[in-house]
Amino acid sequence: MLEKIFNLVKALFYGFVTVLWHLFKRPVTEEYPEEKPVLNEYFRGRPFLNSCAGCGYCKRVCPADAIRIIKNERIVEKYIIDLKKCIFCGNCMFYCPSKSMHMSNDFALATNSKSGLQIDIINRR
Amino acid sequence: MNFLLCKFLEFIKTINFSEHIALVLFSILPFALILGFLILTVIGLVLFERKILGYFTQRKGPNRVGFWGILQTTADAVKLLCKENIEISSGDNFLFTLSPIIAFAAIIILWCIIPYNAEFNMINSSVGILIYLIVSSFPMLFHFLAGYSSNNKYSIIGSYRALALTASYSVPIIFTILSIICITNTMNLNNIILFQTKKWIIFSNILGFVIFYISSIAKLNRCPFDLSEAESELVCGYHTEYSGMRFAMFFLGEYAELFVMCILISILFLGGYLPPFNVYLANIFMGNCSLCRYLIYFEQTFWLIFKTLLIIFSIIWIRATLPRFTQKTTLDFFWKYLTPLTIINLIIITFMRI
Repeated sequence: MLEKIFNLVKALFYGFVTVLWHLFKRPVTEEYPEEKPVLNEYFRGRPFLNSCAGCGYCKRVCPADAIRIIKNERIVEKYIIDLKKCIFCGNCMFYCPSKSMHMSNDFALATNSKSGLQIDIINRR
Repeated sequence: MNFLLCKFLEFIKTINFSEHIALVLFSILPFALILGFLILTVIGLVLFERKILGYFTQRKGPNRVGFWGILQTTADAVKLLCKENIEISSGDNFLFTLSPIIAFAAIIILWCIIPYNAEFNMINSSVGILIYLIVSSFPMLFHFLAGYSSNNKYSIIGSYRALALTASYSVPIIFTILSIICITNTMNLNNIILFQTKKWIIFSNILGFVIFYISSIAKLNRCPFDLSEAESELVCGYHTEYSGMRFAMFFLGEYAELFVMCILISILFLGGYLPPFNVYLANIFMGNCSLCRYLIYFEQTFWLIFKTLLIIFSIIWIRATLPRFTQKTTLDFFWKYLTPLTIINLIIITFMRI
């Protein structure tokens, strides 16, 4: 009986001390819009493209079937990626023969309409 | 209160105001002061609890509205005031409206019984603690009526649980208060405080303090004994059907009762407005000047609120640590362990007095 009470008090004590210890730890909350989070160097966000040759490798390796390439004869007219479907796996970047596909740090992708998520990412400088 | 009355009348004479109206004003002003202080305290207390609970769980709590989230509860209060009052289609509408009003009004009376310092004590009755016990049972009764008149299964289950809990925590609270009356030979709250000038009651009645503390957590309807409004089982307990201002009344009442109950604990066990070691800071820093006489009253209030806030912090700490007990565990705990322990404590105290 006494041992039971002792164990109970011990468990209670440990519980209370653990909770109190958390009071002095740094909060894990991130104040998002004011303070931008520090991202990993290999973070895969919104994809972007420089000088596409239109070989179609990326389209074939895409597991989510999110890429649509519209060609006019041999010139790439539109390179549309559907961010609804995209799982940001990075396959397109990895398999691109000319290494022109990149993924940026931009993760704020929300838009007001579905069509806003289907974007033409080719960079025409 | 006499000292304050003399000062007030002197002030009235200097501005050539009618003395009769001044006397009437003197009895109204403290109540208005208390009501304003009550609402400010509740708003501050809700923010305090949310902040502390946040930091206990490694969050930041409210931090958007105003600097450091200070205006969050004010915004919540304004939102509640502006909300639509939803009437229930079936059920007792009269009782439904009456319950939150009386539950809140009773708590305002509790606030007026408390001596905040040696002078500011509005209802200085010789049976102050008895009045406290009787009036503090009102909110629980009207919580039951609120659930009963709501015509909702969750409300009525919450109300029955509240009633069962009321019966179980009342005995320990009353018996502990009896032991304190045994020690101090008085029922006046002011005299109970003055009795503790040399030694606080907690040192001679530590078991009583623990029992009273646990029972008051149950009385305040807080974790781990918040059976009557167990969110995971009963939606919101007795105030499931309430919205807008009527819900705000219950909410306000809950936190006002928390504050006043913690004040009572500090009065009964921790010496109320007396400073620790019976040395006033004003006397140390200012010496025996004329201003010191007034500063001491403010310091007394400071000590009372300081002790109260410590107790409130510990109650929030318990809420952050312990999970909710089941109904059977709670009733077992109160009837099988706490009540016999209280009676043993009372017997020991009585024999010590003889």
